[in-house]
Amino acid sequence: MMPRHQASGFSNGYPREKTFDLSPHSFQPRTSIAAQRQRKRLFIRLGIVFFVVILITLWVWPKSAFASVLSLGLLGASSELELETVRYYDLTNVQGTARGWEREERILLCVPLRDAEPHLSMFFSHLRNFTYPHHLIDLAFLVSDSKDRTLEVLSDNLEQIQADADPKQPYGEVSIIEKDFGQEVNQDVESRHGFAAQASRRKLMAKARNWLLSAALRPYHSWVYWRDVDVETAPFTILEDLMRHNKDVIVPSTTNNFVDVWRPLPDWLGGEQPYDLNSWQESETALALADTLDEDAVIVEGYAEYATWRPHLAYLRDPYGDPDMEMEIDGVGGVSILAKAKVFRTGVHFPAFSFQKHAETEGFGKMAKRMKYSVVGLPHYVIWHLYEPSVDDIKHMEEMEQERIAREKEEEEKKAKAAKLKEQFGDGADTWEQDKQELKELKEKAAEEEKRRVKEEKAKVAQLKQNTNKEKPAAQDEKATTNQAKPKAKQEKSRAKQEESEVDDEKPAAGKGKSKAKQEQSEVDEEKPRANREKPKASRQKPKPKQEKLAQAEVEDDNVVAGNSEKKRFAE
Amino acid sequence: MARPMGSVRLKKANPFTLLLGTVLCIFILYFLISPSSTPSSTTRVVVDSARHHLSPPTSPYRKPKSDAAVELGPPPVTRYNLNNVTITADPIGNQEHVLILTPMARFYQEYWDNLLKLSYPHGLITLGFILPKSKEGNAATALLQQQIQKTQKQGPEKDRFKSIIILRQDFEPSLQSQDESERHKMANQKARREDMSKARNSLLFTTLGPATSWVLWLDSDIVETPPSLIQDLAGYSKPVIVANCFQKYYDAETKSMAERPYDFNSWQDSDVAQKLGASMGPDDILLEGYAEMATYRLLMAYMATNPSEKDTVVPLDGVGGTALLVRADVHRDGAMFPPFAFYHLIETEGFAKMAKRLGWQPYGLPNYKVYHYNE
Repeated sequence: MMPRHQASGFSNGYPREKTFDLSPHSFQPRTSIAAQRQRKRLFIRLGIVFFVVILITLWVWPKSAFASVLSLGLLGASSELELETVRYYDLTNVQGTARGWEREERILLCVPLRDAEPHLSMFFSHLRNFTYPHHLIDLAFLVSDSKDRTLEVLSDNLEQIQADADPKQPYGEVSIIEKDFGQEVNQDVESRHGFAAQASRRKLMAKARNWLLSAALRPYHSWVYWRDVDVETAPFTILEDLMRHNKDVIVPSTTNNFVDVWRPLPDWLGGEQPYDLNSWQESETALALADTLDEDAVIVEGYAEYATWRPHLAYLRDPYGDPDMEMEIDGVGGVSILAKAKVFRTGVHFPAFSFQKHAETEGFGKMAKRMKYSVVGLPHYVIWHLYEPSVDDIKHMEEMEQERIAREKEEEEKKAKAAKLKEQFGDGADTWEQDKQELKELKEKAAEEEKRRVKEEKAKVAQLKQNTNKEKPAAQDEKATTNQAKPKAKQEKSRAKQEESEVDDEKPAAGKGKSKAKQEQSEVDEEKPRANREKPKASRQKPKPKQEKLAQAEVEDDNVVAGNSEKKRFAE
Repeated sequence: MARPMGSVRLKKANPFTLLLGTVLCIFILYFLISPSSTPSSTTRVVVDSARHHLSPPTSPYRKPKSDAAVELGPPPVTRYNLNNVTITADPIGNQEHVLILTPMARFYQEYWDNLLKLSYPHGLITLGFILPKSKEGNAATALLQQQIQKTQKQGPEKDRFKSIIILRQDFEPSLQSQDESERHKMANQKARREDMSKARNSLLFTTLGPATSWVLWLDSDIVETPPSLIQDLAGYSKPVIVANCFQKYYDAETKSMAERPYDFNSWQDSDVAQKLGASMGPDDILLEGYAEMATYRLLMAYMATNPSEKDTVVPLDGVGGTALLVRADVHRDGAMFPPFAFYHLIETEGFAKMAKRLGWQPYGLPNYKVYHYNE
């Protein structure tokens, strides 16, 4: 086929000058014409300009959103300042399961604090020991109306734990919330547990808990754990142990452990005492009682004023019982509560008003029940609450301390006396030796006379010894009588170690006396003096199971009640 | 006339090409410089953004470097002093943070448009939504996210909200249909309102956070409010205050738009209702607006008088949740929407009762109107 325009030039318009010129037609597609090429050049130029402009903008404004779109997010620096304002959470993912640690479920640990500086170091030692992965636990503290250095100590400790070199130590979100409610109620045990102050105190505590929770609960929490700062001993695995039960609300049993600072103390009441009486099962009596009270009344457990006859979690404890045993309860104590976050999300809280005649944690239990959540206690799974001496106990401790000092003083005196005697005796021996030597020398001279003298000396020493022996019991008797004169039965218990067995026997009797102080007053009055020393059997006769029934009205600081009843007796 | 390439080409460059290039250059430069030169963006970012994603969702956080390889340190210890959170009648002057909470089943564009019109500084507003995990809920979520994207990413700086939280409900709605007729059947009321209570509580207690001063409950079907809604309601400095909810409709008789009362949950209690409640079982609830149950309560819906008397404030015993402004304190003290019969009341009405039990008196504004969507 012959090209049509062969004579004039190529089909693309170039003149044909030299037949064998390779340029440019050999590189050009046949369709390419000058105009097209020109346009193409223009595009390339525009492209280059555009590219340069973008490069400049990226270099000048590396953080603009436009730049990040252009760079397809490849430049790390560009997204550094991106502000996340939208968050999406699916609450079905945070329901809480029995094996939360495997599913990386987050726990919110809530701790209400008030003048708690002395307890913080103990609390932080617990915190370090939790076996649940720390990064899955968010901590929230509410510091309210504190007059000591709670806040400073707390934040120092938290900073420390967050900066810990061990990557397993730091926790998740840590928030300290400050809010003063202007509580005028004193925080020592006496005023905290005094009956009259209970209702308003509990309502304030409830408010504090609600403020803490509402400020700290997030959509990603699966569990909420409430813990008192003054828990002394608790298993490190407590979170997993409670979680394993997969209940909506679960509490362990709480017991009071007497501190071993005062050596005679462990013998009081056998060394342990149930602390948290707020975990209980509802009883008919209490329900009937609730109906008689006015709208704003709050039933507080553990006071003779409201005898509710409820079975308490704390009294059901058996040291050898199965720690996994569950028990349905209606009221909950606040020392250590593990609850699914959904319980709090759907509205269960700590009523700061009288809800079905209860407030705070007990009202919480009631409300959770009302919303058909499972509320369970573990009677044989025990954590130990720090022993807080009541005002009476403190007085008693002081007395005991004085006694101890007096006793030591006495002992010292005795020692001094004995030393003196020894000296005298030693002197006597010396003379005896000398005499012996003399005897040897003057063997035959005055043998009989010397023997008589030695006998005399011995007799003298023996008499002196006898005298000191007599003195000791006399001193003790004196003390005993002074103790007896004092109205408090418990002082007897603390007195001497040889009386230990008696003391143990006394305990139930004493407890009983307190619980049914009014009904059994006469019985107690008869029983007490006897039980104290001569007839431990009298108290032993009381059947143990009865104690459970009696337990209802018993108070954590029931010593006070007992003390009062005894005082009355003495007044009579 | 064969020419060598290169320099010749430059010489031959079309002046038009160069002109076009420079114009484009200038245009692009102008386009890039103009938005970032507005001063508002930089100030807002600095105000309160957290460093960690575990921060309260009510405040935005700055994403650190996007690559996951960069190790995030443990979160810092954060101190919040709630004594400094002010709640006053002048919320704008005191820079008070407002949380607008909306349980949403259906998305209405009018609702979103109305939200954008609010004149309260958007930088102080956090939005919270909770949607059911049903088909309808999914559709609503998609639409909502679309609008959020539009506002937060592309919208003008002043329209952008401080933070937005979207929650998906963790329980099945007991009623599948959200049609107005189905929703309002008396037999369905208790179950429906129990669900609503749970949704409201879930939304409230997970988003309240430590910085909020006011909580505005705004229903997703409120399509028209005064733009100054928040300031106006807060200005009365009442712990709980509710606007009167009306509905605009086309009146066939007068051939014009008219309005009628819509929300009957705001009322003053009556003896009849009290007695009725006393005769009920512990799980039964009193309902308003049903002929079968005549309570003779004084309804705020019918208290509306002269629109010019906007400042009329009346104490209430029950409140509706359509447009309800609550001091954050009230919720923090524990006032929530009971999902059970609380004094025979449920949801927002139960909330009013609970607030009263905690010592907070609810109020209503009969002549301050907001408008409900008409299906």
